[in-house]
Amino acid sequence: MPLVHLLRTGEGFVPPSTNDFNLPPVIAGNEYTTKPILLVFLSVLLISVFFIMASRKAAIVPSKLQFAGESIYGFVRNDLARDNIGHDFMRFVPYLFTLFTFILTNNIFGIVPLLQFPAMSHVSFPYVLAIFTFITFHYIGIRKQGIRKYMKDIMFMPGVPKAAYILLTPLELATFFIVRPLTLSLRLFANMFAGHLLLLVFILGGDHLLKGVIGLKLISPFAFAFGIGLTFFEFMVQCLQAYIFTLLTALYIAGALADEH
Amino acid sequence: MKQDEGAAWSIFGYLLSGLLFWGGVGWAADHWLHTHYFLLGGLLLGMGASIYLVWLRFGRE
Repeated sequence: MPLVHLLRTGEGFVPPSTNDFNLPPVIAGNEYTTKPILLVFLSVLLISVFFIMASRKAAIVPSKLQFAGESIYGFVRNDLARDNIGHDFMRFVPYLFTLFTFILTNNIFGIVPLLQFPAMSHVSFPYVLAIFTFITFHYIGIRKQGIRKYMKDIMFMPGVPKAAYILLTPLELATFFIVRPLTLSLRLFANMFAGHLLLLVFILGGDHLLKGVIGLKLISPFAFAFGIGLTFFEFMVQCLQAYIFTLLTALYIAGALADEH
Repeated sequence: MKQDEGAAWSIFGYLLSGLLFWGGVGWAADHWLHTHYFLLGGLLLGMGASIYLVWLRFGRE
């Protein structure tokens, strides 16, 4: 599996581009065996194994593994679900927990040596996740309040002069049905895409400088040092994006459950 | 703090949809009427409308 699929044309430095994200299939000719797809399967396997191991021998005095598993679960349940959704939050913990661990694991794959590719930098993965969230919160809202009241709450804010609805109602509809899923998926995609590209620039740049004349060789460690520094920065961004996605999903669910928006 | 973070993103969403919707209406009007001022008007109207909406949602308490 080529770690970095770089187009090398001529002598000059080829800056990383979107081509670096189109990795060839692992099994030649089979379009379904590209690196992102395999990484997604790997993440599902890792998450399952980790949490089954962590919860299998649950004890009053937890082992380190159990403690780690329960910390992540507790964070999603208490800080994300309970604090935002309020009572009746337990119904949504499984979804939020799956979402958080799935995004987090796949994001962190972006800086794990040898794997080093965030699947979320392919926009279709965030799209699918955003569609799940979109369907979930609208379905919950419609079931809780009935479609008429739900749509009325979205479209007509109380306490506004009637003429203002001409201006505001399209905006509310656009926000709830287009902008929300779109920003949710694009924020995750763009962060992962830009982060991966940034790392490629510094690491490949450092590599290229190393092959240059002596003056360039001396600069190359700085490029690598920057690359390493940015890797830690990327780790922060990766955790933050998983958190934001789950947090906003929880807030959208909370908004759909609330009696008035 | 988490509510604030959520509010920040909803505000961003409102501002974006204001620009996109009324800006889009203005652009379409320009496109069909062969004029060149509806886009600007639409963008300004959308910005105003979304700031009004943000104020209604978050600034009224």
